[in-house]
Amino acid sequence: MKNSFQITILCCNYTNLAEREDLASLLGKIEIKRYPCSGHIEITDILRAFKEGAKAVMVAGCSKGTCHNQKGSERAEKRVLGAKKILEEIGIEPERVEMFYVSRLDSGDFVEKAKAFYQRVLSLELKERAQ
Amino acid sequence: MIIAERRPIPEILQNIEGYEKVLVLGCRGCVAVCSAGGDREVAILAEALRLARTLSGKPLEVLEATFIRQCDPEYLEPLKKYKGEVEAVVSLACGVGVNLIADLYPEMRVYPGVDTSFYGANLSLGEWVEKCRGCGDCIIDKTAGLCPIARCAKNLLNGPCGGSQGGRCEVRKEMPCIWHEIVERMKRRGELEKLMEIWEPKDWRPAGGDGLRVRIRDDLRLNGGN
Ligand code: SF4
Ligand code: SF4
Repeated sequence: MKNSFQITILCCNYTNLAEREDLASLLGKIEIKRYPCSGHIEITDILRAFKEGAKAVMVAGCSKGTCHNQKGSERAEKRVLGAKKILEEIGIEPERVEMFYVSRLDSGDFVEKAKAFYQRVLSLELKERAQ
Repeated sequence: MIIAERRPIPEILQNIEGYEKVLVLGCRGCVAVCSAGGDREVAILAEALRLARTLSGKPLEVLEATFIRQCDPEYLEPLKKYKGEVEAVVSLACGVGVNLIADLYPEMRVYPGVDTSFYGANLSLGEWVEKCRGCGDCIIDKTAGLCPIARCAKNLLNGPCGGSQGGRCEVRKEMPCIWHEIVERMKRRGELEKLMEIWEPKDWRPAGGDGLRVRIRDDLRLNGGN
């Protein structure tokens, strides 16, 4: 399944310093795209990630109250909601995109959440392939 | 302003099923302000259409543009350059824009990307509420500035109906009874007796009962309107 299963992570540049290598234990391809602030992540970025092959998209921003730009990550959460609605309309499970609030400057928390999300999506994918 | 809402994407996809190249065309007027058809919504719909068609194995090329307005021939001029370039246009303007494109560019296939809903006010972020129905014969000089045609579920001219309770409408409890509010306001103004006056029957012709509504102002027209 390596490389046939891609997860894209869209996140703020300042939330954490994790790199692809930190997620190397996961099978498949992990793309990390960073933005100046998670509030800058648009619904179009999420949809584009799917078009470019992602089976799921994780959006990560600083925990509420810790965003350097005040409400950036809360905006990101709204965009995720918007993207879910569109995905549903075009027949993709909305669970394939999720917002995660991660502890600022704590790569461990980010990596842990990314791995958990990966597992969740992987089981969704396997279930679907089995059908 | 005119309030609109994006149509369900499956319906839009169905409309453009046979095409390989389309233009998603936004409008920077009302639909941009009500977040249904401005630049941002154009980008989102275009991306959603590309994704859906990629997944279905029939990739779609989508061009994006947003005009200042679509309800004015002058601002629709740039559409000419898309003639022959795209097979269809999905317009995110209100129905006025879509109709005008259909009138002016009969050879173009144009499809509505939004449902045009009502004339409303933007009360808070993400909340729009109807205030006027464009009846063409305004009566709110008599009703303390509150429109019973748009805001009374039964469009009554002599409310409140018997169902209003505690200031709420019987049709949907979350709606205030506008006639209750009209009466309260007129009372506070000391003008309640004005509501006792018998009104002339309302002229519904300007509301569309007389066919297509047209407004001509000769004082603004030059060269017969051209
Ligand atoms: S086309 Fe419709 S939405 Fe756009 S400005 Fe004109 S009336 Fe408003
Ligand atoms: S009476 Fe007619 S014109 Fe006046 S606010 Fe109501 S619907 Fe609009």
